[in-house]
Amino acid sequence: MDVLPALAEGFRVALTPAHLGWCFVGVCLGTAVGVLPGIGPALTVALLLPVTLNVEPTAAFIMFAGIYYGAMYGGSTTSILLNTPGESATIVTALEGHRMAKAGRGGAALATAAIGSFVAGTLATLGLAMAAPLMVKLALGLGPAEYFALILLAFAAVASLLGDSTAKGMASLFLGLTLGLVGLDPRDGQARLTFGIPYLLDGIDPVIAAVGLFAVGEMLYLASRLGAREDELVPLRGSLWMTREEWSRSLAPWLRGTAIGFPLGALPAGGSELPTFLSYGLEKRLARRPEEFGRGAIEGVAGPEAANNAAAAGTLVPLLTLGLPTSATAAVLLAAFQQYGLRPGPLLFEHQPALVWGVIASLFVGNTMLLLLNLPLVGLWVRLLAVPRPLLFGGILVLATVGAYSVHGSRADLALLCAIGLLGLALRGGGFPLAPVIIGLLLGPMAEQQLARALAIAQGDVTTLLARPVPAVLLAVAVLILARPVLATVFRPRAAQG
Amino acid sequence: MAALVAALSLTAPVLASAQGEPRDLTIAAPAAPGGGWDQTARVMQQVLRATGLARSVQVVNAPGAAGTIGLARFVSAETGNGDALLVTGLVMVSGIAANRSPVTLADVTPIARLSGEYEVIVVPASSPYRSLAHLLAAFRANPGAVAWGGGSAGGTDEILVRLLAQRVGVEPARVNYVAYPGGGQALASVLGAHVSAAVSGLGEFAAHIESGGLRALAVSAPNRVPGVSIPTFREQGVELELLNWRGLVGPPGLSRAERRELEDLVRRMATSDEWTAALERNGWADIYMEGEPFGRFLIDETARVAPLVASRAGRGGWDSFELAVLLGGGIALAAAAWRVRSERRRARGEPAREDSPVRVNLAALGVLALALATDLLLIESAGFVIASTLMFALTAHAFGSRHPARDALIGLALAALVYAGFTCGLGIALPGSVLG
Repeated sequence: MDVLPALAEGFRVALTPAHLGWCFVGVCLGTAVGVLPGIGPALTVALLLPVTLNVEPTAAFIMFAGIYYGAMYGGSTTSILLNTPGESATIVTALEGHRMAKAGRGGAALATAAIGSFVAGTLATLGLAMAAPLMVKLALGLGPAEYFALILLAFAAVASLLGDSTAKGMASLFLGLTLGLVGLDPRDGQARLTFGIPYLLDGIDPVIAAVGLFAVGEMLYLASRLGAREDELVPLRGSLWMTREEWSRSLAPWLRGTAIGFPLGALPAGGSELPTFLSYGLEKRLARRPEEFGRGAIEGVAGPEAANNAAAAGTLVPLLTLGLPTSATAAVLLAAFQQYGLRPGPLLFEHQPALVWGVIASLFVGNTMLLLLNLPLVGLWVRLLAVPRPLLFGGILVLATVGAYSVHGSRADLALLCAIGLLGLALRGGGFPLAPVIIGLLLGPMAEQQLARALAIAQGDVTTLLARPVPAVLLAVAVLILARPVLATVFRPRAAQG
Repeated sequence: MAALVAALSLTAPVLASAQGEPRDLTIAAPAAPGGGWDQTARVMQQVLRATGLARSVQVVNAPGAAGTIGLARFVSAETGNGDALLVTGLVMVSGIAANRSPVTLADVTPIARLSGEYEVIVVPASSPYRSLAHLLAAFRANPGAVAWGGGSAGGTDEILVRLLAQRVGVEPARVNYVAYPGGGQALASVLGAHVSAAVSGLGEFAAHIESGGLRALAVSAPNRVPGVSIPTFREQGVELELLNWRGLVGPPGLSRAERRELEDLVRRMATSDEWTAALERNGWADIYMEGEPFGRFLIDETARVAPLVASRAGRGGWDSFELAVLLGGGIALAAAAWRVRSERRRARGEPAREDSPVRVNLAALGVLALALATDLLLIESAGFVIASTLMFALTAHAFGSRHPARDALIGLALAALVYAGFTCGLGIALPGSVLG
């Protein structure tokens, strides 16, 4: 089947007034749930499923797709302005984005996030339309050994986040890894570090941990230092929009972020967090002024933001072509397909062309809508930072607590949020970096699961990790990245490769 | 949003209950929105409303720990309530045994078994195993060499593999079961031939069995499933049947009449055309069973599944990964502590650092901690709006605002807005109480 005529047909479906309306409802709802920490697109679509049963499938899926993309936009807004990531895929955005906002460049950070998301979303949707079957074939060839190597590469890529003191950084990282152990052992279902508390059996939600550390912990820290030297918060310095320099610094990261995010999103166990870490590490390594990282480097927002949107489009590849859900949202979308008696898989494109291409076309439409919706709002959002600090902090706490509480409707999540906030206060007070805690918590369990699977399949033979070309190369690259500072001092005549 | 509200009102009750007063039911789904238990509850919600068997139906999600958290909460909150139901299933039976849950299915009132899915064993199309006998011969000869892919540890898929191992005489400790979260990743691993065989619900693999990407070796039904040409275990000489069933239980402490009423209600729902259509739409088998036989069935399933879970729990003490993490963490922490001390020592030597005399503002910190504690303590008793308003005002106070009335008003407006957005927009119930 020719892609272009099919896509043109898809646009005819997507551009009807009713479908445009559903798309708009979807992107607005998505933005709203993206802003709320804890409430994600998966939960929203699941809650809407029974309601939409009376709506024709194309309209429903156009709305769901809008929710999915919208959540990626909304999550970055709160990450940048309030240091309160709404989704796990936007945790990395908070690292540089919030520092930019504090330095008066919040407008530029929001703009580069929005435009980067648009660029990545559009390119990745194009990739979805053109290359889906090929991508899937490649993706299925990757097994646990490859994933394990990829996760180690992500660890190596973000090693710089450990901060100035390696010892403290490692302590934070291992604290995160330990928190990641809490819950059921993924191999045999045995409880670990749960101290007999049933609530802990499901582990610690990374979003609650990130909000607890970054938002609640930071606020407790600021309160403890109130009256001492205050670091000032500048709502806006210079132009509201991106300067020419910021444009030129964003362009390449957008494209690189897309190139990382789309294929990783299409992998059955890629997810959308992994590409954001890899993109952040890559941008820091390629940046002309890497010393700006940690103080608000625009590349560190542009790359990961492009990566998470491209990954969102990537997850639709295995979903539509194989009926393979690779994220929580995709799993709920699969349930939605089944409710309508549709079966995603090789035959879906042939049996339901209007639906599939209509949804793909509506992804383009939704992306454009989100850009048009978000850019004018940048000015308004930035003004949020001008709200007096006592009120702003009160608002952040209300947002953070309602997000944590509503996911399971349980006070235990709220208690966890407060406990992690106290932990964040202690870490900040001792000068320990916070980002490695989240890295350990997010990537640690992933690495453990994949390693355990790889070893189980190989019956405990460790050489399985090096026996195949892809993991061997990835592991070698990871080792090189980590060893580079050592090698650089050993082999003295260093060329200008800062 | 208007369209959503309109769609919501379409599902509103049309008829009053045919018998007695119309009821307001609560169905507890001990899982997050989206899974099988939640779907069962939400489909029931629709059918009960559409048939007019209930005036209103509220679905409450209480996820966690294979449903045992929801079970414990149901027993403590709903005892004696004749209008409450809990969705349960095979995975909860296994979870109760694995987590040593103090509350079990013996503590609740069995109402009915409703629906289920059969399990299927597949191998990749390229696999050397042509038949179940072939696969089982290899499994017997060298159990470790057969890697079984499937859903989370303790779930239906693992139960099937362990029952199979028991039938063919393979030691539990030698079963090589590789757990994947959710069906998607297990499917990918078998399509990519990373595992030898995979187990899942029939529906999840059906498309790929039809298209020839996967070869189905056996289905766990007692007889051939209509429209499916996969042989059963029994046909191939293995005495094995397994159903990923879902059912309903009521709270403890119901009178005989209350129990009968709930059973009647569920029977009328389960025999309605709407329910039959919903079963078909979701690919669920109709395995309706009344309360008393269902109670005996629960006892049998527990007797069959609990020992499997116990046999798996062989691994004692700490294993290498945890040890590595904890030891590494300990060393890093020690190094950090040493560094902090040497920094301090250096700071004492040259006390010219700007921020060395840090004065901790205990008053502000205390008020902020009080704000969080207030929210935590009051959110369920006083309701979301009041708790959030207080927290907002206290936070503002902690950061130096001295206009408590103004702050409280702003907090109230914000909390009310969020409350309205959650309850109307998303349909997530926040604790309302006094301010509604």
